[in-house]
Amino acid sequence: MTKGSLMVFINTNRRQFLRSSIGGATAIGIGSHIPACFTHAAENSKRARENILVVVQMSGGNDGLNTLIPFADPDYKAARPKLGFSAAEVLKCTDSLGFHPSMSGLHGLLEAGDLAVVQGVGYDNPNRSHFEAMDIWHTCRRKQEPRPDGWLGRYLDTQASGSGGDVLALHLGQEQQPFAVNSQSVRVPTVRELTEFQLRGQHREQLCELLSSSADEKQAVALRSSTSVSMKESPSDNDLLAFLESSTTAALAASERVSEAVQGYKSDITYPTSELGQKLRIVAQLIDAGLTTKIYYVQLDGFDTHSQQAQTHSILLKQWSEAVSALIQDLKSHDHDQRVCVMSFSEFGRRVAENASEGTDHGAAGPMFVSGGKVAAGIVGESPSLTDLQDGDLKHHTDFRQVYATVLHDWLGVDPTPILGGQYATLPLFKNQVASAS
Amino acid sequence: MHDIDPNWAWQVFEPTAERPWDRALAAHLFRRAGFAADPTTLDAALTQSPTTVIEELLRANVEPSQFRTTADQLAETVLAGGEAKRLSAAWVYRLVNAPSQLLEKMTLFWHGHFATGAEKVTDARLMWQQNQLLRQYALGNFPALVHGISQDPAMLIYLDSVANRKAHPNENFARELMELFCLGEGNYSERDVQELARCFTGWEIKNKQFRKNKYQQDTGEKTVLGQSGAFDGEEGVRCVLEQPSVERFLASKWYRFFIADEPAPSAELLQPLADEFRKHDLQVAPALQFLLQSNLFFSSHAIGRHIKSPVEFIVGMLRGLQATASADLISKGLIRLGQGLFYPPNVKGWDGGRTWINSSTLLGRSNLLADLLAHESTRFAGDSLSAYLKELGIDGPQQAIEHYESTLLAARLSDEMRGELCRAFPKAAGGDEPAARELLHAVLSLPLSQLG
Repeated sequence: MTKGSLMVFINTNRRQFLRSSIGGATAIGIGSHIPACFTHAAENSKRARENILVVVQMSGGNDGLNTLIPFADPDYKAARPKLGFSAAEVLKCTDSLGFHPSMSGLHGLLEAGDLAVVQGVGYDNPNRSHFEAMDIWHTCRRKQEPRPDGWLGRYLDTQASGSGGDVLALHLGQEQQPFAVNSQSVRVPTVRELTEFQLRGQHREQLCELLSSSADEKQAVALRSSTSVSMKESPSDNDLLAFLESSTTAALAASERVSEAVQGYKSDITYPTSELGQKLRIVAQLIDAGLTTKIYYVQLDGFDTHSQQAQTHSILLKQWSEAVSALIQDLKSHDHDQRVCVMSFSEFGRRVAENASEGTDHGAAGPMFVSGGKVAAGIVGESPSLTDLQDGDLKHHTDFRQVYATVLHDWLGVDPTPILGGQYATLPLFKNQVASAS
Repeated sequence: MHDIDPNWAWQVFEPTAERPWDRALAAHLFRRAGFAADPTTLDAALTQSPTTVIEELLRANVEPSQFRTTADQLAETVLAGGEAKRLSAAWVYRLVNAPSQLLEKMTLFWHGHFATGAEKVTDARLMWQQNQLLRQYALGNFPALVHGISQDPAMLIYLDSVANRKAHPNENFARELMELFCLGEGNYSERDVQELARCFTGWEIKNKQFRKNKYQQDTGEKTVLGQSGAFDGEEGVRCVLEQPSVERFLASKWYRFFIADEPAPSAELLQPLADEFRKHDLQVAPALQFLLQSNLFFSSHAIGRHIKSPVEFIVGMLRGLQATASADLISKGLIRLGQGLFYPPNVKGWDGGRTWINSSTLLGRSNLLADLLAHESTRFAGDSLSAYLKELGIDGPQQAIEHYESTLLAARLSDEMRGELCRAFPKAAGGDEPAARELLHAVLSLPLSQLG
């Protein structure tokens, strides 16, 4: 793209933005200077056909044993006298395995050839703290090792280009940003609500310009070397300030692009009204609008079912299953399903034996779920033994980094070894493993 | 951080000609040991030594009775409606108006430490009782606070521990007591979790009250963190509190809360603070005195090395400018900014630091300010912003910016940025109220203004 055409594009884009979010009358009188926050929308159209990964995090520790259920195993019923499901209740996947009754959506995906389930996923010396376990999944590092970034963040570092383009990754949700997307070079925006994702106020044009220039590098240097008592003798640059400045730039750019992208989207698919359903609908909108974002990250919390598990777990699985299947259907109808893969995981499974509160305590290994048009559908790996346990928990036979390695290598087309900090054998999760290394 | 000498770090700060006890340092103290102070408070502080000011902040460990009565009445009015969401507005009132800033700041710290969410507890009164418990011990006795929280109905409901039967002890509370409240992850074993859970058998919540059910109590011998005996819940808590990890864990959390978000301090640097806490039998106030009056606290390792939490950002702006605003608007806004009071994200509380900041919360901070400044109920010492500035003798945008810097910001803006602000809002502080508010909005939306 030549410099000239880029400018034309920015101008068009800016006009669209002004029309859509400010209105013609107020736009009159704005000078010809284009604030930096409008120039980040320059689109890299090459990327719009690249593969996309959607990560669904099931927070709290999903009871894998009541998600993919070994209904034919007598030890299952013995371990789950109150919480167990019978052969007649489950949605059968094989002769011995079935989905939880509320997972009809995912069951449909499995039958349509769009879902793979990896059994017995975990890691050595499993940690049963929510936070530590989640950090392990997010960073692929143990506590004793330095953990400055997440596995997706390290992937983003390999993709970072000097300028322009859409945000490389986007986190949608109310909760804190997942550690997995922490990166050395890329700021991943979080979108909580679309209506909140634009600057308000009478003078937002001026504000936008001010914020852009404050985040401008030259200005930042001046800021850091300001003459105040406080900063004068700083031993080094203030990293937090640099972080705030780059975050501000990212926020302004993402705000403009996202608000523009979600206008005028039409879909025949009815998404569930759940929060997860609505988030995944936005993901579909952004993908369809041609955003070159490669990673979308959403979370569904509440899986920490220590007591009265049955109803809560059923509701959560239903929300998750319906939302993911709606997304896949929608992507299919818009012809994007061949380049989108949805990966669901939880930080641990739960103890094999139910507890006295009709719930389950923290456990270890559990299943992972990968769906999309290019997925090699089916159940991957053996069912973990319900009697050969480790402290009452399932033993894993597949390391979670094998799934990550597969997604990185076969789907995102990068070398997984430096990202994961070791070599992990890939799994047969995709139909033709052709993602081009960029 | 290895280059900080612990001996120098924890010595009592003595002002020098190079680092005088001036408005900038006093404002730093009040931002961290509270939310912010107005110019009158700052100037009064400068007539005393830093150590004396800190002693006074710590001595105010109980609310003045008149304030307490008013604030409690407000809370009772809200509780009559039964809605937990509105309860956070009652706390906002305290945060903005409490005479004892450090007490309120520490109550907020403990809420993040013993994080309990109203979403799950649902009963607003139980949440309020817990809040009063946190305030009661905020600057007091940590062991008493831990024992109190171990029998606190809201906490036990939040951690699924309303029933603890001896056949299948629920491990949740035992785990979090060690992992998140007292020791930190890695300072106990899975076996300790299971054994400590046995100590809590028979503890339950019935009719919203804590009680012990002796029929469900496991009276056998347990081994918790190396100590063995037929322990009950209280003795289990005692075993935990005797661990030296307690003082180190709290010292590291206070370091992050009061001194700097990052980088994490070395164990060597933290140890004197930890020792001070243990030496005073885990009393909070002496440890905080040691921390706040230190060279380290008043050094460049601390100033500007902290990203304001949403509460610090909003309440600080109000307190620094003697302002009042709709508590409802603020409490709802805080939820969107990621710090809903009574709505922490999970039992680990708020991680703070960089995690406060993302695109949504940055835009959200600016937008919440815009909403507050557009709202007619927002007043500055009972007046308009332009009248307030005039009363302080502030004339023109340049002086207004300087005033905001000295009370609210951790550092001064660059000359270039000041120039841009003055050009963008030439009428600010010339009696033009909308322009004055726009300038304040712009200053506080800048990246630098997020540092505290």
